[in-house]
Amino acid sequence: MDRALRRKLLNQAFVVVCTGAALIALAALALIMFSLFTKGMGGVDVMLFTADTPAPDSPGGLRNAIVGSIMMCSVAMLIAVVIGVLAGTWLAEIGGSSPYGHVVRFLNDVLLSAPSILIGLFVYWWVVVPMGGFSGWAGAIALGILATPIVTRTTEDILNLQPNALREAGMALGASQWVTVKSIIWRAAGAGMLTGGLLGFARISGETAPLLFTALNNQFLSFDMSKPFASLPGAIYPFAMSPYDTWNTLAWAGALLITLAVLGVNILGRWLARDKDHK
Amino acid sequence: MSLQSARQSSFLARFLADPADPIFRSLAFAAATMLLVTLGGLIIALIIGGWPALSKFGLSFLFTNSWNPVTEVYGAAGPIVGTLITALLSLAIALPIAVCVSVFLTQYCPKVIAQPISTAIELLAGIPSIVYGMWGLFVFAPWFAKTVQLPILTNLDPESFWGKLLSGVPNGANIFTASIVLAIMILPYMAAVFRELFRSIPPHVREAAFGLGCTSFEVVGSVLIPYVKKGMIGVVMLGFGRALGETMAVTFIIGNSHRFPDSLFASGSTLASTIANEFNEAQGLHLASLIGLGLVLFLITFIVLAIARTLLSSQRY
Amino acid sequence: MSDTETEFKSVITPPPGDQIVLETRKLNFFYGTHQSLFDVSIPVKRNGITALIGPSGCGKSTLLRTMNRMYDLYPGQRAEGEILIDGENIVGSKVDVTALRAKVGMVFQKPTPFPMSIYDNVAFGVKLYHKKSKSEMDEVVETSLRRAALWDEVKDKLNKSGLSLSGGQQQRLCVARGIAVQPEILLLDEPASALDPVSTAKLEDTLEELKRDITIIIVTHNLQQAARLSDYTGFMYLGKLIEFGPTETLFVNPKCEKTSDYIGGRFG
Repeated sequence: MDRALRRKLLNQAFVVVCTGAALIALAALALIMFSLFTKGMGGVDVMLFTADTPAPDSPGGLRNAIVGSIMMCSVAMLIAVVIGVLAGTWLAEIGGSSPYGHVVRFLNDVLLSAPSILIGLFVYWWVVVPMGGFSGWAGAIALGILATPIVTRTTEDILNLQPNALREAGMALGASQWVTVKSIIWRAAGAGMLTGGLLGFARISGETAPLLFTALNNQFLSFDMSKPFASLPGAIYPFAMSPYDTWNTLAWAGALLITLAVLGVNILGRWLARDKDHK
Repeated sequence: MSLQSARQSSFLARFLADPADPIFRSLAFAAATMLLVTLGGLIIALIIGGWPALSKFGLSFLFTNSWNPVTEVYGAAGPIVGTLITALLSLAIALPIAVCVSVFLTQYCPKVIAQPISTAIELLAGIPSIVYGMWGLFVFAPWFAKTVQLPILTNLDPESFWGKLLSGVPNGANIFTASIVLAIMILPYMAAVFRELFRSIPPHVREAAFGLGCTSFEVVGSVLIPYVKKGMIGVVMLGFGRALGETMAVTFIIGNSHRFPDSLFASGSTLASTIANEFNEAQGLHLASLIGLGLVLFLITFIVLAIARTLLSSQRY
Repeated sequence: MSDTETEFKSVITPPPGDQIVLETRKLNFFYGTHQSLFDVSIPVKRNGITALIGPSGCGKSTLLRTMNRMYDLYPGQRAEGEILIDGENIVGSKVDVTALRAKVGMVFQKPTPFPMSIYDNVAFGVKLYHKKSKSEMDEVVETSLRRAALWDEVKDKLNKSGLSLSGGQQQRLCVARGIAVQPEILLLDEPASALDPVSTAKLEDTLEELKRDITIIIVTHNLQQAARLSDYTGFMYLGKLIEFGPTETLFVNPKCEKTSDYIGGRFG
């Protein structure tokens, strides 16, 4: 009887600890979101989108940073989608089971979890130094390299989910592999591949470390990607570290913008993936 | 196209059947090879870029506790230890909580609430790390300095064991607070994947354990966790890898000093935070040493990742 | 000829009153708002094999899973009525479910070895309830494995993972694990449906042995198996117990038309 009682008490303690820990964790995360929203909303006004990053203690916004982020991320996603979709397709449809395929898959995993700051070093060495300076292109390439393995991975996973009967049906009609992949497999896997792209986009839009020594920063609105280039994370970092209140406020507003963008893109991606499941 | 020619599928046959086909296959192969080239280029860049420092200091680069741009003596011991301590400490904090959260969500929480909470946690796992870093800098560090560090400083004998362990400038920027921010950052990711693992266990295994008369604690501890043990270790290693290489969440709050940390509340630095802070002002040997730090970081995370991958791929349900 | 609208009259031929170990009385069961058992009253004979048969979805597994309160794991599922085990009602919140499940063991459709060694699989349940020395535990493990007719096949690899065994061996391992805690009643939910004929025969032999001192209730869709093994059989249909009685009577001379239709293979 003593044993039964001890087991029961132990179990009750476990339930209490689990529930308590879960509540603490959720509270901590909620607290962070609360700080982000209350402090971030303080800096959100029309000027945030119409004015460029200001000097200390003067009014301003984040227009140049927002434009810069959008441009760099777009170029980055272009790189990532082209390379990632092709590489993922190669892994799933052509050479994935060869020894070289296993090597490529492993390397993709390594790139997927490599610290992003190392990608920054890589681009600094191979792009910034040869080109003679920091540039928007370098930043876009760094972000592109970060997003590529994500797109590759999801593309391969999604294509592997497509039934073999689809491929055989295409081949049986006499279609080449290219035609089969292009008009049957990619089309069938479309929603899933789009989700992969969105996940990649969500990941890079908040990345700061790889931009520090590739795109650097730019106080002014610029569309010339061969020059140092502004970005939201690149503006937030120095603003947050600075002692000026106006800059701190802008940093919070910028962080809120990034978070909302990332959340929005993630939710969109999940919604698309869910839509596919229901079909 | 006859069956025969399809089976042979030589380059020529494919080209004659559809000229776009071999082009597509070549491009796909080239894209896959780009991944290899990228990683190769990364390693080459780190080795060549760091070479001046590595050849000058040799192995002592790893073990020297000095980082002095004036005398040009660079050793990575401080940042290496800082990286390992913060990553291990954050893992020690986040792991038990993540297990608790996932157990709570899969075993105890009513389904109506569990689903939205789980979705929220998965979404939080995608929040950029700079947000966690800013929260640490503006909210957590000041609070920690005021409510934890100051009372400890005034009440503890500085010569006692605890006094030494917990000594430090009371500004909240130290190894311990950096670890907590890191822990909060990796927590949603780990909890979300643990939950997926638990959900992958066939329901009849859980029923069988309950059928023997196990309490829920015994079911979780003796049956469910062992069932997904390998996957869990793999996830832990991935979380560890993220903590090792994380830059922004740490740089804001660790204090950025290159001293060997002598207490839990001392400021320190990590490999990533040192690179992020100093890279743009560095030149010559200083720059090479920073790239050398990058090489060390790459090697550490590579090993951790390789272990994680081996464990995750051998997981059988 | 709509079956669903016809009221069936139950014909119950219970075993002698002093031999009844478990008995449900007017048991109703609900999955949320959907009712899946209707006024089921079934008497189960001690130390024998009772089979539950019926077309899929008739509630036979549901009935089995009420007897060790397995439905507790799922919010929204509930039972109303009485289930008496040794005269004690186990429906209700005051019952110690853990102790109940030690007394009423269960073996599932799919083999469920735990992720541990063969030895530990058998010892696992025992450790929950009793502190035993190494030699005592060795003895319990050996006896249980012998009774489950598995000992000769695994005695040289007790430290191997339970998952390394074949499907039939895994299922007998689960039986061994179930009887190691010395339950009074053992519930089996289609235990042979995933097994080949040879493994099924071995499992049936095991059950024949066990019934000397354990009450066995088995759910099966295999009529031959029910006829071969059991002493009493209950036929269920649409959540109701249509007919219950000695196996021979039920199979040779069924009282209800529905029963004879089912046994004759006219539906199901």
